Amino acid sequence: MTTSDHTYADKAAEAAVRATPEPVARRLRSLSDKAIAWLFIAPTIVLLLAINIFPLFWAVYLSFTNYRANRPNAVVQNVGLGNYSRVLNDPDIWASMQTTAHFVFWTILLQTVIGFGLAYLIDRKFRGHAFWTTLILIPMMLSPAVVGNFWRFLYEPQIGLFAYAVSFLTGIPTSEIQMLGNVHLAPWAIIIVDTWMWTPYVMLICLAGLRSIPDYIYEAAEVDRASNWRQFWSITVPMALPFIMLAVLFRGIENFKMFDMVNLLTGGGPGSTTEVASIALKRDAFEAWATGRSSAFAIVLFVAVFGLANIYVKALNRVKQR
Amino acid sequence: MTDIRHVAAPPATPAAGKPRRPIFLRRGPMEALAVAVIGLGFLMLFQPFALVLYTYSLITLLTGTFMFMIVSKFPE
Amino acid sequence: MSAANSAHSVVEPGAASKRIAATLVILYAVITLVPLVWIFLTSIKSPPDSISYPPKILFTPSLEGYCNLFTTRTRQTPEYIAALPEPDGICDAVTRKRNMVIAGPSNFLPRFANSLIIAFGSTFLAVGLGTLAAYGFSRFKVPLADDLLFFILSTRMMPPIAVAIPIYLMYRQLGLSDTAIGMMLLYTAVNVSLAVWLLKGFIDEIPREYEEAAMIDGYSRLQAFRKVVLPQATTGIAATAIFCLIFAWNEYAFASLLTSGSAQTAPPFIPTIIGEGGQDWPAVAAGTTIFLVPILVFTILLRKQLLRGITFGAVRK
Repeated sequence: MTTSDHTYADKAAEAAVRATPEPVARRLRSLSDKAIAWLFIAPTIVLLLAINIFPLFWAVYLSFTNYRANRPNAVVQNVGLGNYSRVLNDPDIWASMQTTAHFVFWTILLQTVIGFGLAYLIDRKFRGHAFWTTLILIPMMLSPAVVGNFWRFLYEPQIGLFAYAVSFLTGIPTSEIQMLGNVHLAPWAIIIVDTWMWTPYVMLICLAGLRSIPDYIYEAAEVDRASNWRQFWSITVPMALPFIMLAVLFRGIENFKMFDMVNLLTGGGPGSTTEVASIALKRDAFEAWATGRSSAFAIVLFVAVFGLANIYVKALNRVKQR
Repeated sequence: MTDIRHVAAPPATPAAGKPRRPIFLRRGPMEALAVAVIGLGFLMLFQPFALVLYTYSLITLLTGTFMFMIVSKFPE
Repeated sequence: MSAANSAHSVVEPGAASKRIAATLVILYAVITLVPLVWIFLTSIKSPPDSISYPPKILFTPSLEGYCNLFTTRTRQTPEYIAALPEPDGICDAVTRKRNMVIAGPSNFLPRFANSLIIAFGSTFLAVGLGTLAAYGFSRFKVPLADDLLFFILSTRMMPPIAVAIPIYLMYRQLGLSDTAIGMMLLYTAVNVSLAVWLLKGFIDEIPREYEEAAMIDGYSRLQAFRKVVLPQATTGIAATAIFCLIFAWNEYAFASLLTSGSAQTAPPFIPTIIGEGGQDWPAVAAGTTIFLVPILVFTILLRKQLLRGITFGAVRK
């Protein structure tokens, strides 16, 4: 590919050179394809280095110090791995990881089951399915913060629509449906909003997976008189699996760093029952101002996300081959 | 969950002749192993049973990630 | 179901299964849209209607929410209000009914303007940089291209709070804290990764032969890029721009940590709208409605491209 590409480009450059006056031609010849490639790519890389990578290295440096952002003039001391050992032995941060795990597990489970189910139903191609699909997709494009904030109103025990609907359906008095105030219900309040918002995301990717299954496989199964149940488990699910994995991985990464909704719905409360990792980190960094320690915490989160991102890109490439 | 299509589809390795690379230098299995190590790191990070596992989750995650980055450069 | 199946083509689902599917999907769609409808309904309720129990579906529409969103008010004695001249405009009248007078404009418009400036500015930059880089990756053999592309994508995956700590320090040093420029740069950096990946997909789809033909006709590489590739990529660039715009518009974590005043955008502002005795829900709903309507329109415009957008261009159909 490269060789033919080069000869083509060279020929074209040659043609261009012949057709243009001398000084312009020299400039054209000097601006080789390689130069153009780097000229085009460099600004993006430079921006990312400045805004993402430089701060990251700074955070790595800070994670080995006792720096505090609210005391910029204090003497900065190197504390070695002290911050990491504190973060990785801190029962509260450990607890925040478990809270995160709880969210990640349940949101992904619910979103995958409902999302795949919806995709399967939409794939029946009933009349008007495109219209209803578009309607279902709306929540995932909205701002999690702004919409999440409004859910606080829906969750109000005395006046909210959610409490009213639940009490209407179950007969439980609304005063007991303290979705955001009750330690047992608060995590579920967030899981419900997240599921409401992101099920369409999983659904859309699953739908693509289902549509990528060629018809002839089902036709062959039909010839073999495989039951619908069997077809579902031995054709539909395995063939759609790379897509499901893609959706699960991305939702996993996103929910691992979930911040917006939790911050607005509960702010980590009541107590610390919904204090996910991002909220704990925010408190450490921007309320306790323990910049050094929180940098170490941030690096832990970063490494975890980076590991998942590697797997995600592999999953992306696998899906791309279809 | 190794990639079946990778193994089955490309006729990259000629059937006769060339000996296959040893398993620890092939991409497929080693990538799967790295993914498993990262997965293990997450389990250690998330589990509520032993603080010591949580303590060593970071190093496990780092190991898995570095391993993944290296082995994904290997040929099939 | 299988009987219905065999009556038709083998893979075409039967009528009964279609009807069941349609019912369930429509049921889900209706339930999922209730919160959004409720946002709109709350925005046109008067405050007492908005907090009545059971929740009211039928009510007299009121513009109070929108009035309260755009104004700040102070409480006055009935005598003082009675002595005032005739109210000019609906908001004035509505406010006086609550024994209050309008004291001035609220912060909503400036915050909304910040959102617009930052979202459009960062989208413009991200799409500009992204188009160039995507063309570079699509058409030339770049050494370590896969690693660079992964690096570009991985920057988007970083947890915002983890990034915010050093950014906060860096911006403090550079004097970029709480400035529109600072937020624009930050959102550009986050969006450029999406732009590169998406646009690379779109540009990959434009046959190389077009440019090569143009270059044989005497165009230089840059001219071919400008006059052949860019026009062909317009749809892709527009779709990418809308995705970047939506991200920048919706972003909350960075905005809430790095801005507090003059550069604050709408998402961290809307939750802080309070009236007397707590959150002023009709006003919050009004702000939310105004904030969401553009996204609603864009989502419907983009519906065919959504899948590409959320998979960084990997799934194209």
